[in-house]
Amino acid sequence: MESIKKLSYQSSLFFHFVSKKQTVYIISLCVIMLIFSILAITFGSYGLSIIDYLLGKTSQIQNTVLTEIRLPRVILSGLAGASLGISGAALQGLFRNPLADPGLIGVSAGAALGATLMIVLGGDLFSQNSLGIFFIPLAAVAGSSLVIFMLYFMTKGFGYEGVTYMLLVGIAINAIAGVGIGILTYISSDAELRSLTFWTMGSFGGVTWPLLLPVILIIIFSIMVMIPYARQLDLLQLGEPEAYRLGVDVQRLKYVVIMTAAASVGASVALSGMIGFVGLIVPHLTRLLGGVNHNYVLPGSALMGAALMIIADLMARTIIQPAELPIGLITSAIGSPFFLWLIFKIKKL
Amino acid sequence: MSISAKSISLNLGGKKILKDISIEVPSGEILSIIGPNGAGKTSLLNVLSGNLNAYNGLVSYNNIPLNNISIQERAYTRAVMSQFQSIAFDYSVRDILEMGWLDYNFERIQEDLISFQQEIIEECDIQNLIDQKFNTLSGGEQRRVHFARALIQLWQPLNTEDQKYLLLDEPFSNLDLVHKVKMMNSIKKRASSGTGVLMILHDLNLAYSFSDKIVILKNGKLVEKGKTKNMLSAKLLARAYETFISIDDNPINIRYY
Repeated sequence: MESIKKLSYQSSLFFHFVSKKQTVYIISLCVIMLIFSILAITFGSYGLSIIDYLLGKTSQIQNTVLTEIRLPRVILSGLAGASLGISGAALQGLFRNPLADPGLIGVSAGAALGATLMIVLGGDLFSQNSLGIFFIPLAAVAGSSLVIFMLYFMTKGFGYEGVTYMLLVGIAINAIAGVGIGILTYISSDAELRSLTFWTMGSFGGVTWPLLLPVILIIIFSIMVMIPYARQLDLLQLGEPEAYRLGVDVQRLKYVVIMTAAASVGASVALSGMIGFVGLIVPHLTRLLGGVNHNYVLPGSALMGAALMIIADLMARTIIQPAELPIGLITSAIGSPFFLWLIFKIKKL
Repeated sequence: MSISAKSISLNLGGKKILKDISIEVPSGEILSIIGPNGAGKTSLLNVLSGNLNAYNGLVSYNNIPLNNISIQERAYTRAVMSQFQSIAFDYSVRDILEMGWLDYNFERIQEDLISFQQEIIEECDIQNLIDQKFNTLSGGEQRRVHFARALIQLWQPLNTEDQKYLLLDEPFSNLDLVHKVKMMNSIKKRASSGTGVLMILHDLNLAYSFSDKIVILKNGKLVEKGKTKNMLSAKLLARAYETFISIDDNPINIRYY
């Protein structure tokens, strides 16, 4: 056995099993995302030009709007879209179920409950502690991890037979989290209530660099950890016993996907609130575009999620300018009919 | 060299599935496990493949205890084809075949894979299926694709002589006459070039005309094991299957009533 150069799947080259066509799609998505970002930075209730900024022709106030308001907002919307997209894709692969979505199975609700708990009950912690700003993201990650572990144990390790069961568990978890958030809303003070209300509707507004930095780190780290497991997720589609026979440490794969999905969804929910259906739609669009293998679907979903979220956020803040639509409203309005269509298409649930 | 199991006992959910079974799959030989439903044949295969580990006894690959072999190394040593469930996403047949390709971290892996795939694809007669969606194939076609995938998993670099093993659970189910013969020939070809083969079979005539050794299981116990010609006894088979059995020797024809 020494004669074989052995290496784990994780170390396989990134584009190892990605076709040329898929490489083109990934690069195009990258370009589209960048174009959308530039558009999103340029347009808004306050007109800006990146070219002027680079040439130094902008005023002090324009600079501040660009670097302190517009840029963090675009980065957050992109990261939130990327994290929801890739987590949806990875969870769908892990559950071997095209209907898995961080929102549907209660992961986002768990994150929301965690964050709400921190907003309402942890108020003193923020003001007295310099690390206070990390507490909301951490609480959200804890909430989402808790939900995913509950799902894991209740569905006996995400067994394929437990698909309907899993979605029902998700509904129950969503309801429980709703009750928790309701109670917390009820006991919150006026100031807390205000921040809670805006937060639960989902918005990328009001984000600042100190809040954003830990989220950037968590989401990018999660994505970097997740992508090398793409081939193992492909093998998992043959069934857990088969994946194992092909050399996949299934248990480890499950924990990695669960933890990274929970961490990145938790982090994005902590800052932007619950944004429905992105984690469901984006992986499907990505698969429709270029194929089902995870080496393509994972990075593709991250890029497509980022691009769509950036443009959706631009729409949210320009359609009824200068007022702003909640982003969650837009994604749900587009996503729920898509979800219905998907259910009719699959039917075999 | 062999895959061997020594005094394996297995309990699942309070039920004794396997009781003190020892078998050996030597390289270059075809060993068939036969026995009535519920005899523990598939469980024994799962123990040998490493999928079930709550057993008592010792499983070893090429004289190395299974516990000392990493999950990846096991994949290099044995390929398994079992009964399959459907796949949730629209993978193409090509995707499924590529799943059998273990990572050897070679430089020009793509070309290597493609030329090797081509041989296997012709051997398994799936040229016309290669760009179709796996889930649209018939049961027999899916079996052939999975068989091809298992063969691809057994690929090894030139100038290496590792002993490899093929574990097959009902490989011929759903196959038509022609493809049954083709798959039998493929399996024979592997065995004659040194691969150890273990098969679970229900068709006794197939098992007896095709295997070097036969193992008979019943109720989780080993009834008898040995060279095929020594196992050709109507009495023995009648004991295992609890039915009337008659045998014509030349050509071998086992009839059951």
